[in-house]
Amino acid sequence: MAYEIPDDLEEKAAIMREFGRMRAAGEPVSPELYAKPVNATNDRYTTGPGPGERIPHFALPDHKGVIRSLANLSGPKGLLLVFHRSADW
Amino acid sequence: MLDQHGVRIAAVSYDSQEILSGFAEKHRIQYPLLADRDSAVIRSFGILNINIAPGLRAHGVPHPVDYLAAPDGILIRKYFVANYMHRVTASTVVLREFGVVSENAARVTLRSGALSAEIGLSTSKAFAGQHISFIAKFKLDPGWHVYGAPLPEAYTAASITFDDPQIIGQSFELPEAQPMKIAALGETLPVYGGSFEGQGSLLLKFPLDAGRIVLEGKFHFQQCSDSVCEAPETVLFELPLNIEPFLVATPKK
Repeated sequence: MAYEIPDDLEEKAAIMREFGRMRAAGEPVSPELYAKPVNATNDRYTTGPGPGERIPHFALPDHKGVIRSLANLSGPKGLLLVFHRSADW
Repeated sequence: MLDQHGVRIAAVSYDSQEILSGFAEKHRIQYPLLADRDSAVIRSFGILNINIAPGLRAHGVPHPVDYLAAPDGILIRKYFVANYMHRVTASTVVLREFGVVSENAARVTLRSGALSAEIGLSTSKAFAGQHISFIAKFKLDPGWHVYGAPLPEAYTAASITFDDPQIIGQSFELPEAQPMKIAALGETLPVYGGSFEGQGSLLLKFPLDAGRIVLEGKFHFQQCSDSVCEAPETVLFELPLNIEPFLVATPKK
Protein backbone atom coordinates (compact mmCIF):
# COMPACT_ATOMS: atom_id res chain seq x y z
CA MET A 1 0.00 0.00 0.00
CA ALA A 2 1.32 3.45 -0.88
CA TYR A 3 1.34 5.82 2.05
CA GLU A 4 1.10 9.61 2.02
CA ILE A 5 3.54 11.31 4.39
CA PRO A 6 1.76 13.86 6.61
CA ASP A 7 3.23 17.37 6.46
CA ASP A 8 3.12 17.84 10.24
CA LEU A 9 5.47 14.98 11.12
CA GLU A 10 7.87 17.31 12.94
CA GLU A 11 5.13 18.77 15.11
CA LYS A 12 3.82 15.32 15.98
CA ALA A 13 7.33 14.09 16.75
CA ALA A 14 7.77 16.98 19.18
CA ILE A 15 4.50 16.07 20.96
CA MET A 16 5.54 12.43 21.17
CA ARG A 17 9.05 13.26 22.43
CA GLU A 18 7.67 15.59 25.09
CA PHE A 19 5.23 12.95 26.26
CA GLY A 20 8.03 10.38 26.36
CA ARG A 21 10.17 12.78 28.39
CA MET A 22 7.41 13.38 30.92
CA ARG A 23 6.78 9.67 31.34
CA ALA A 24 10.47 8.85 31.74
CA ALA A 25 10.79 11.63 34.32
CA GLY A 26 7.81 10.24 36.21
CA GLU A 27 5.88 13.49 35.78
CA PRO A 28 2.11 13.18 36.22
CA VAL A 29 0.14 13.19 32.99
CA SER A 30 -3.48 14.31 33.08
CA PRO A 31 -5.97 12.70 30.68
CA GLU A 32 -6.27 16.03 28.84
CA LEU A 33 -2.50 16.19 28.31
CA TYR A 34 -2.40 12.54 27.30
CA ALA A 35 -4.99 13.26 24.64
CA LYS A 36 -2.33 15.21 22.65
CA PRO A 37 0.00 12.30 21.83
CA VAL A 38 -3.03 10.03 21.42
CA ASN A 39 -4.54 12.34 18.82
CA ALA A 40 -1.16 12.79 17.10
CA THR A 41 -0.72 9.02 16.94
CA ASN A 42 -4.25 8.28 15.74
CA ASP A 43 -4.45 10.98 13.09
CA ARG A 44 -5.81 9.59 9.82
CA TYR A 45 -5.78 6.09 11.19
CA THR A 46 -6.41 3.22 8.83
CA THR A 47 -7.69 -0.18 9.84
CA GLY A 48 -6.98 -2.32 6.81
CA PRO A 49 -9.23 -4.97 5.24
CA GLY A 50 -12.91 -5.11 6.18
CA PRO A 51 -15.22 -8.02 7.02
CA GLY A 52 -15.77 -10.26 4.01
CA GLU A 53 -12.41 -9.38 2.47
CA ARG A 54 -9.43 -11.68 2.39
CA ILE A 55 -6.56 -10.75 4.71
CA PRO A 56 -3.16 -10.45 2.99
CA HIS A 57 -0.99 -13.56 2.84
CA PHE A 58 1.85 -13.46 5.37
CA ALA A 59 4.70 -15.72 6.50
CA LEU A 60 6.70 -14.61 9.54
CA PRO A 61 9.00 -16.28 12.07
CA ASP A 62 7.49 -16.67 15.51
CA HIS A 63 9.43 -16.16 18.73
CA LYS A 64 10.78 -19.72 18.46
CA GLY A 65 12.03 -19.14 14.94
CA VAL A 66 9.36 -21.22 13.20
CA ILE A 67 7.83 -19.68 10.07
CA ARG A 68 4.10 -19.20 10.64
CA SER A 69 1.28 -18.31 8.31
CA LEU A 70 -2.52 -18.49 8.56
CA ALA A 71 -2.65 -22.20 7.75
CA ASN A 72 -0.54 -23.26 10.73
CA LEU A 73 -1.82 -20.58 13.12
CA SER A 74 -5.58 -20.78 12.76
CA GLY A 75 -7.83 -22.81 15.03
CA PRO A 76 -10.85 -24.68 13.61
CA LYS A 77 -13.00 -21.57 13.94
CA GLY A 78 -10.36 -19.00 13.08
CA LEU A 79 -7.45 -16.85 14.14
CA LEU A 80 -7.41 -13.64 16.16
CA LEU A 81 -4.42 -11.74 14.76
CA VAL A 82 -3.38 -8.94 17.10
CA PHE A 83 -1.18 -6.14 15.78
CA HIS A 84 0.55 -4.32 18.61
CA ARG A 85 3.28 -1.74 19.00
CA SER A 86 6.15 -3.50 20.69
CA ALA A 87 7.08 -6.09 23.26
CA ASP A 88 10.16 -4.06 24.08
CA TRP A 89 8.72 -0.91 25.64
CA MET B 1 -10.96 -18.50 26.80
CA LEU B 2 -10.93 -18.07 23.03
CA ASP B 3 -9.38 -21.51 22.64
CA GLN B 4 -12.51 -23.22 23.98
CA HIS B 5 -14.39 -21.72 21.04
CA GLY B 6 -11.95 -22.93 18.39
CA VAL B 7 -10.20 -19.61 17.87
CA ARG B 8 -6.44 -19.33 18.28
CA ILE B 9 -4.46 -16.17 18.74
CA ALA B 10 -1.19 -14.77 17.39
CA ALA B 11 0.41 -11.36 17.80
CA VAL B 12 2.48 -9.33 15.32
CA SER B 13 4.99 -6.58 16.09
CA TYR B 14 8.15 -5.15 14.54
CA ASP B 15 10.36 -6.63 17.25
CA SER B 16 13.09 -9.12 16.46
CA GLN B 17 12.65 -12.81 17.18
CA GLU B 18 15.19 -12.47 20.03
CA ILE B 19 13.25 -9.73 21.75
CA LEU B 20 10.00 -11.64 21.33
CA SER B 21 11.57 -14.82 22.64
CA GLY B 22 12.69 -13.05 25.82
CA PHE B 23 9.30 -11.42 26.22
CA ALA B 24 7.41 -14.70 25.74
CA GLU B 25 9.58 -16.44 28.30
CA LYS B 26 9.38 -13.64 30.84
CA HIS B 27 5.60 -13.33 30.64
CA ARG B 28 4.91 -17.03 29.97
CA ILE B 29 3.10 -16.30 26.75
CA GLN B 30 1.60 -19.39 25.22
CA TYR B 31 0.62 -18.05 21.81
CA PRO B 32 2.93 -17.25 18.88
CA LEU B 33 4.54 -13.80 18.70
CA LEU B 34 5.42 -13.02 15.10
CA ALA B 35 8.47 -10.95 14.20
CA ASP B 36 7.66 -8.44 11.44
CA ARG B 37 11.13 -6.86 11.46
CA ASP B 38 10.78 -4.23 8.75
CA SER B 39 7.02 -3.80 9.23
CA ALA B 40 6.43 -5.44 5.85
CA VAL B 41 3.33 -7.33 6.95
CA ILE B 42 2.12 -4.27 8.86
CA ARG B 43 2.38 -2.34 5.60
CA SER B 44 0.71 -5.07 3.57
CA PHE B 45 -2.30 -4.94 5.86
CA GLY B 46 -2.46 -1.19 5.28
CA ILE B 47 -2.20 -0.24 8.95
CA LEU B 48 1.22 1.36 9.18
CA ASN B 49 1.08 4.37 11.50
CA ILE B 50 2.36 7.19 9.27
CA ASN B 51 2.35 9.81 12.02
CA ILE B 52 5.58 8.59 13.56
CA ALA B 53 8.70 10.16 12.06
CA PRO B 54 11.81 8.13 11.25
CA GLY B 55 14.21 8.41 14.18
CA LEU B 56 11.46 7.90 16.77
CA ARG B 57 11.54 4.48 18.37
CA ALA B 58 7.92 3.88 17.44
CA HIS B 59 8.56 4.47 13.72
CA GLY B 60 7.12 1.45 11.89
CA VAL B 61 4.43 0.51 14.45
CA PRO B 62 0.93 -0.33 13.25
CA HIS B 63 -2.38 1.13 14.27
CA PRO B 64 -3.52 -1.36 16.88
CA VAL B 65 -6.06 -3.42 14.98
CA ASP B 66 -7.12 -6.96 15.81
CA TYR B 67 -8.43 -9.19 13.04
CA LEU B 68 -10.66 -12.19 13.53
CA ALA B 69 -10.09 -14.23 10.38
CA ALA B 70 -11.79 -17.46 9.34
CA PRO B 71 -9.50 -20.41 8.56
CA ASP B 72 -9.83 -19.61 4.83
CA GLY B 73 -8.47 -16.10 5.33
CA ILE B 74 -11.76 -14.24 4.98
CA LEU B 75 -12.10 -11.57 7.63
CA ILE B 76 -14.99 -12.12 10.04
CA ARG B 77 -14.53 -8.98 12.08
CA LYS B 78 -11.94 -6.44 13.02
CA TYR B 79 -11.47 -4.55 16.26
CA PHE B 80 -9.85 -1.18 16.65
CA VAL B 81 -9.43 0.96 19.73
CA ALA B 82 -8.67 4.64 19.21
CA ASN B 83 -6.77 4.88 22.49
CA TYR B 84 -3.72 2.78 21.73
CA MET B 85 -3.01 1.89 25.31
CA HIS B 86 -6.22 0.01 25.82
CA ARG B 87 -7.13 -2.91 23.66
CA VAL B 88 -10.45 -4.52 22.94
CA THR B 89 -11.09 -6.82 25.82
CA ALA B 90 -11.33 -10.55 25.40
CA SER B 91 -14.87 -10.15 26.78
CA THR B 92 -15.89 -8.21 23.70
CA VAL B 93 -14.52 -10.87 21.37
CA VAL B 94 -16.22 -13.64 23.36
CA LEU B 95 -19.54 -11.79 23.41
CA ARG B 96 -19.56 -10.79 19.78
CA GLU B 97 -18.52 -14.15 18.46
CA PHE B 98 -20.12 -16.53 20.91
CA GLY B 99 -22.93 -14.62 22.62
CA VAL B 100 -21.61 -15.10 26.13
CA VAL B 101 -21.57 -12.23 28.65
CA SER B 102 -19.46 -11.70 31.74
CA GLU B 103 -21.33 -12.53 34.93
CA ASN B 104 -21.06 -9.05 36.37
CA ALA B 105 -21.92 -7.17 33.22
CA ALA B 106 -24.95 -4.90 33.35
CA ARG B 107 -28.15 -6.20 31.91
CA VAL B 108 -31.62 -4.70 31.60
CA THR B 109 -34.96 -6.25 30.64
CA LEU B 110 -37.62 -4.19 28.89
CA ARG B 111 -41.16 -5.13 28.14
CA SER B 112 -43.82 -3.42 26.08
CA GLY B 113 -46.92 -5.10 24.79
CA ALA B 114 -46.00 -8.22 22.87
CA LEU B 115 -42.29 -7.47 22.87
CA SER B 116 -39.64 -8.13 25.50
CA ALA B 117 -35.99 -7.29 25.20
CA GLU B 118 -32.93 -8.08 27.25
CA ILE B 119 -29.99 -5.78 26.60
CA GLY B 120 -26.60 -6.47 28.16
CA LEU B 121 -23.08 -5.09 27.99
CA SER B 122 -20.08 -7.30 27.28
CA THR B 123 -18.32 -6.24 30.47
CA SER B 124 -18.84 -4.58 33.84
CA LYS B 125 -15.77 -2.38 33.53
CA ALA B 126 -13.81 -0.65 30.82
CA PHE B 127 -11.26 2.07 30.20
CA ALA B 128 -12.08 5.41 28.62
CA GLY B 129 -11.50 5.25 24.89
CA GLN B 130 -12.22 1.54 24.73
CA HIS B 131 -14.66 -0.36 22.53
CA ILE B 132 -17.20 -2.47 24.38
CA SER B 133 -20.04 -4.50 22.99
CA PHE B 134 -23.66 -5.10 23.81
CA ILE B 135 -26.10 -7.83 22.92
CA ALA B 136 -29.85 -7.39 22.59
CA LYS B 137 -32.15 -10.43 22.74
CA PHE B 138 -35.73 -9.93 21.65
CA LYS B 139 -38.83 -12.06 21.98
CA LEU B 140 -42.21 -11.38 20.42
CA ASP B 141 -45.48 -13.06 21.28
CA PRO B 142 -46.89 -15.26 18.50
CA GLY B 143 -48.71 -13.27 15.83
CA TRP B 144 -46.69 -10.12 16.45
CA HIS B 145 -43.70 -8.68 14.65
CA VAL B 146 -41.53 -5.59 14.55
CA TYR B 147 -40.21 -4.00 11.38
CA GLY B 148 -36.68 -4.25 10.15
CA ALA B 149 -34.97 -2.29 7.41
CA PRO B 150 -35.29 -1.02 4.72
CA LEU B 151 -38.72 0.52 5.19
CA PRO B 152 -40.97 3.04 3.53
CA GLU B 153 -41.07 6.31 5.45
CA ALA B 154 -44.31 5.80 7.32
CA TYR B 155 -42.91 2.87 9.29
CA THR B 156 -40.41 2.57 12.14
CA ALA B 157 -37.60 0.02 12.00
CA ALA B 158 -36.30 -1.50 15.24
CA SER B 159 -33.13 0.18 16.44
CA ILE B 160 -31.05 0.61 19.55
CA THR B 161 -29.09 3.83 19.90
CA PHE B 162 -27.15 5.46 22.70
CA ASP B 163 -27.69 9.19 22.65
CA ASP B 164 -25.05 9.72 25.31
CA PRO B 165 -22.09 12.14 25.19
CA GLN B 166 -19.94 9.48 26.85
CA ILE B 167 -20.24 7.40 23.69
CA ILE B 168 -18.51 8.76 20.59
CA GLY B 169 -19.10 5.90 18.21
CA GLN B 170 -21.60 3.10 17.97
CA SER B 171 -23.03 0.45 15.74
CA PHE B 172 -25.87 -2.04 16.02
CA GLU B 173 -26.54 -4.98 13.74
CA LEU B 174 -29.60 -7.15 13.46
CA PRO B 175 -29.80 -10.20 11.24
CA GLU B 176 -31.56 -9.79 7.92
CA ALA B 177 -35.31 -9.23 8.36
CA GLN B 178 -37.70 -11.56 6.59
CA PRO B 179 -40.20 -10.19 4.09
CA MET B 180 -43.78 -10.72 5.17
CA LYS B 181 -46.93 -9.93 3.26
CA ILE B 182 -49.10 -7.86 5.53
CA ALA B 183 -52.66 -8.35 4.29
CA ALA B 184 -54.16 -5.44 6.22
CA LEU B 185 -51.69 -2.99 4.65
CA GLY B 186 -51.42 -4.62 1.26
CA GLU B 187 -47.63 -4.41 1.50
CA THR B 188 -44.72 -6.80 1.84
CA LEU B 189 -42.37 -5.48 4.51
CA PRO B 190 -39.21 -6.76 6.25
CA VAL B 191 -40.07 -8.01 9.76
CA TYR B 192 -38.74 -9.84 12.78
CA GLY B 193 -40.81 -12.26 14.79
CA GLY B 194 -40.35 -14.85 17.52
CA SER B 195 -36.88 -14.76 19.12
CA PHE B 196 -34.02 -12.89 17.51
CA GLU B 197 -30.98 -10.97 18.61
CA GLY B 198 -28.65 -8.22 17.56
CA GLN B 199 -25.19 -7.09 18.57
CA GLY B 200 -23.65 -3.68 18.77
CA SER B 201 -20.47 -1.94 19.73
CA LEU B 202 -19.85 1.27 21.63
CA LEU B 203 -16.74 3.45 21.60
CA LEU B 204 -16.32 5.22 24.91
CA LYS B 205 -15.15 8.83 24.97
CA PHE B 206 -11.64 9.64 26.07
CA PRO B 207 -10.98 11.00 28.65
CA LEU B 208 -13.65 9.92 31.14
CA ASP B 209 -13.49 10.21 34.92
CA ALA B 210 -12.97 6.92 36.74
CA GLY B 211 -15.91 5.47 38.61
CA ARG B 212 -19.40 4.32 37.90
CA ILE B 213 -21.10 5.80 34.87
CA VAL B 214 -24.50 5.13 33.39
CA LEU B 215 -24.96 4.70 29.65
CA GLU B 216 -28.32 5.92 28.39
CA GLY B 217 -29.87 4.08 25.50
CA LYS B 218 -33.07 4.13 23.47
CA PHE B 219 -34.88 1.20 22.00
CA HIS B 220 -37.06 2.42 19.14
CA PHE B 221 -39.56 0.09 17.48
CA GLN B 222 -43.05 -0.44 16.18
CA GLN B 223 -44.90 -3.64 16.98
CA CYS B 224 -47.67 -4.94 14.76
CA SER B 225 -49.96 -7.93 14.66
CA ASP B 226 -51.56 -9.16 11.46
CA SER B 227 -54.36 -6.64 11.82
CA VAL B 228 -53.13 -3.70 13.87
CA CYS B 229 -50.00 -1.63 14.42
CA GLU B 230 -49.24 0.01 17.71
CA ALA B 231 -47.82 3.53 17.57
CA PRO B 232 -44.02 3.62 17.28
CA GLU B 233 -42.46 3.43 20.72
CA THR B 234 -39.22 4.56 22.30
CA VAL B 235 -38.18 2.84 25.50
CA LEU B 236 -35.34 4.46 27.44
CA PHE B 237 -32.95 2.30 29.39
CA GLU B 238 -29.77 2.64 31.43
CA LEU B 239 -26.77 0.37 31.72
CA PRO B 240 -24.15 1.02 34.40
CA LEU B 241 -20.45 0.60 33.70
CA ASN B 242 -17.34 1.08 35.82
CA ILE B 243 -14.66 3.21 34.22
CA GLU B 244 -11.21 2.09 35.36
CA PRO B 245 -8.78 4.79 36.56
CA PHE B 246 -6.60 6.24 33.87
CA LEU B 247 -3.13 4.71 33.81
CA VAL B 248 -0.11 5.68 31.83
CA ALA B 249 2.22 2.70 31.40
CA THR B 250 5.53 3.56 32.97
CA PRO B 251 8.68 2.59 31.09
CA LYS B 252 10.73 -0.26 32.51
CA LYS B 253 14.02 0.87 33.99
